[in-house]
Formats: sequence, structure tokens, C-alpha cells
Amino acid sequence: MKRHLLVVLALVGGALAVALVTVGASAAPAQVGPPTTTAGGTAADVAAGNQLYQIACTTCHGAGGEGVEDRGPSLIGVGAASADFYLTTGRMPLDRPRSQAERKRVAYSPVQIRQLVAYVASLGPGPPIPHVDPKAGNLAEGNRLYANNCAPCHSSAGAGGALGHAVYAPPLNRSTPLQVAEAIRVGPGAMPVFGPEALDDEQVASVIRYVEYLRKPDDQGGFGLGRLGAIPEGFVAWVVGLGAMLMAVRWIGTKD
Amino acid sequence: MPDNDKGMPAERRIGALLVISTVAALALAVVYIGGGQPQAEGALLGIALGAIGFALILWARGLSTEGTVTAERGPLGGDHEDEDVVEERIEEVSDEPGRRSVLKLFWAAGGALALAAVFPIRSLGPAPGRSLLTTAWKPGARLVDEEGRPVRVETLPVGGTLTAFPQDAEHAADSQVVVVRVADGEIRPRPGRESWSPEGYIAYSKICPHVGCPVGLYQSDTHELLCPCHQSTFDVLDGARPRFGPATRSLPQLPLAVDREGFLTAQADFDEPVGPAFWNRG
Repeated sequence: MKRHLLVVLALVGGALAVALVTVGASAAPAQVGPPTTTAGGTAADVAAGNQLYQIACTTCHGAGGEGVEDRGPSLIGVGAASADFYLTTGRMPLDRPRSQAERKRVAYSPVQIRQLVAYVASLGPGPPIPHVDPKAGNLAEGNRLYANNCAPCHSSAGAGGALGHAVYAPPLNRSTPLQVAEAIRVGPGAMPVFGPEALDDEQVASVIRYVEYLRKPDDQGGFGLGRLGAIPEGFVAWVVGLGAMLMAVRWIGTKD
Repeated sequence: MPDNDKGMPAERRIGALLVISTVAALALAVVYIGGGQPQAEGALLGIALGAIGFALILWARGLSTEGTVTAERGPLGGDHEDEDVVEERIEEVSDEPGRRSVLKLFWAAGGALALAAVFPIRSLGPAPGRSLLTTAWKPGARLVDEEGRPVRVETLPVGGTLTAFPQDAEHAADSQVVVVRVADGEIRPRPGRESWSPEGYIAYSKICPHVGCPVGLYQSDTHELLCPCHQSTFDVLDGARPRFGPATRSLPQLPLAVDREGFLTAQADFDEPVGPAFWNRG
């Protein structure tokens, strides 16, 4: 019985979502002014998002997104990109305030995320969800930009790394192209912001292409050794090098 | 002496190795004098030392006597015939041409290597003079990024960071600065540095004063710069004072200005030497 009810609910929800998406899409070209205010979210989305927000987010971010001292930052003006990044990576909701938000299972359905994003975007103008086209990027340029801007913290292999205050830069192997673009534009947590003046949309696309490439790079020389860096490489060097030296010692020590 | 009837006798092989070593050591000296080329120098040094090593191994394996030799004690006061034989034998051994020449070749190989080692003394000079005390920053020099694009006031959003160089000296490694933009008014400037950080822009030398790694990790929530080598942490808002880690000095701060066209420029060079300490840093 319960299962039937769920299926019906899901169907209704799905139909509603399709309807909303169509409405949103048809409404978008007619929109006037900067798209940063609502990011294409309809009034219905904002209202539904507000309801979800009041259930799960107010404890730390305040009833109107103004933030709560020592718990959570203000969400006014963080924009749709920030909300979408934190929600689609499962970083929000956060179970322990003021701890580093980590990627985990996503708590909301795509429709709910769209509604929450619409609500947060309605709080004040901020970066919109960026348009991403990784194919427009150049892999070689992405490599250069990644090395200059990303590798110091996320490591040359995209494996992430330790920072100060027990904070770490996360690995990039599970980030979707959109999430990478959002993180670049928003600078979540300890990450700096890279605006369109520092990295234009084409350069962001190049970085994304390179991040995608890092998941399955061409390992020069054959063995990637898990691409874990110096430790496994050193291990192999010791085993092979010491082995060769032992053979040499044996040869020196034997008479004809 | 064990017979070595397959191919070349041991002396010849050792001799060949020592000649190779000598030639390699002399070639090393020539390459070094000619301006140097690290890969070639390494290979030649490896050949010179390796050939001597192989020669020693062959000497031990091929020329020296095998095992312990036990001489039966004969009757004391042997006859003259025996003495003559012994004398003859001693002369024979010491005149053996192979060993003599091999020893000479060892001297040649060692001498050539010692000769090659003399020239690097030249590398101790010239004295650095004042070059460690200054960088390529000149008053009014524009800041440019790695690609040579000038940095403008609107380049960085608040919370953004980039690495910048002086215009027309984009490859001056000692001049690189990490530029950070924070909200205007957040910076707590040191006395005399009030005008050094216009529009929330602040620039520090990117070279860690500990051992010179690039301080390229900016944590925008705590406004700290982190050195990836030994985790020295610098407070961006407080003149890059070290907060954690082995660095003891603040990062040198570059005095910034915004020119009439909106480009970021340096007011002057750093007011202290950049990078790790050196003996006459003062």
C-alpha cells in the first residue's frame, strides 16, 4: 500500500518537475535584468525552497538566511552557484557546524535542490550557476592553468592535500564539470575565488577538461603506480635498485 | 694466477677500463670548462668512477691469488740452487709487464679524475654582490600574471588570489609575489604600511623565508598563506606574520598602488631581502 502511494507521489512530483522545468525554460528568455537574482527559478520554486529551507537550514543559517553566529555563515548574496555546489555534492546539510563540509550522499532530490537553490538565489544577487561546455576547452591550456591555479592545493594529480587548521583540499576525482566550475567561481570553504577576470569561461572549460583528463591520464613510462606520488615510486625504486645492487654484490663476490 | 684463456687476458681488460676512465674524466673536465651540461657531466663522471670500480673488481677476481696459499716449510738453510730460483722468480714477478702497466694506468685514471675535480672550484665565484638584496621591482612597475597580462583593480574578486611578476621581468623568479584581495578595511597594516594595500589588494613575496618554497596555498576563509613544504602559515591580514611552522620571519610585503588607468603597480621594491636567510643578510 505504502509503496503504491510513494510511486504515485513520485509520478506526481516528476510531472510537476517537468512542468516547472518547461515553465522555467520558457520564462528564461523573457527575463529582464541580470540573471543573478533568481537564476531562472520561478516564484513557485522559491516558495517550495523556502519551505525546505525552514525545515533543515535555519538552525545554522537563520530563518532569513542571515546566518547564525558561530554556527553558519549568511547566505545572502552567495548566489545560486554556491547553493547548487554545496547541495549537489552533499556537503549541505552539515551535521556538525563549523567542521569542514565534506562530500557525502546527496540529501535532496534534484527537484528539491532546484527549489532550495532558487530560494537561496532569491536572498540577494550572487554568482549564477555557470554554463559549462568542457568541449570548448583546450586540454594543454587546462594543464597550464591547473598547474598555476589549482595544483598548489589539489596536487598535480588532483588527489587533494592537507592545508592548515586540519582542513584539506578535497580530491577532484568525483567532481562533475558543473561542480568544478561552481567551485572556481564561488570558492567554497577555504578555497579562493576565481572570477571571470582571472579565469574566463573558456579557461574554466579548459581547467574542467584537464580535471576530467586527470581521472584517466596517459601514464608516461607505463605504470602509474596508482599515481600516488613519491611514496610508491620510492618503494619501487628501492626494491628494483636494491635488487640490482644485490645482484652486483653477488657477482663481485663469486670467483669464475 | 688463474688462467684466462677465453678472450682477452685480465690485464688487457683492466687496462682498457682504466683508459676509458681516464678519457671520461678528461672529457668531464673539458665539458665543465666549456660551460657545463649537467646530463653529460653526470654521465661522464659515472663512466669515470664506474670504470675504475669495474677495473678493481676484475683485478680482485682475475689477478689476485685465489684462496689461502700454504707453503710447506722446507729444511732450514736451503741450498744455493733454491736461492737462485727464488731470486729469479722475484725478479720475474716484479718485472711482469702486465701488472706494472696496469698500476700505471690506475695512477692515470685517478690523476685524470683529480684534475677534473679541480675545475669546479671556479664555481664558487663570482661573489653575489648586492644581487640578493634587491629584486626586479621598480617604482611604478605594473603587476602582470604568468601570461604577461597586466593586473587591473577588477581582476580579482574579494577572496581571489594570483601570482604576479613585474612587467618586463616576467621570469624574474626572485620577484614573484602572491597577490590576494580581501574586503577593503580588513587588513591591519603595520605602521608605515598604511598605503601599501589599495582596494583590499595586498602582495607578498611568494618565496618562503624558511627555505624558499613557493608560498602558493591561500586559505581564503582564515586569510592565511600556507607553504606546502613545511606548513609554515602566514597571516595575510597581519603583514604575513608567521603563525605556525618553521618560518620565523614575515613574508616581505610589496607596496602596491593603483595607477590612473586602473592597473596595479609597485610603489617601490621590497624593503627587505626576499627568500631564506643568507650569511650577510644583516
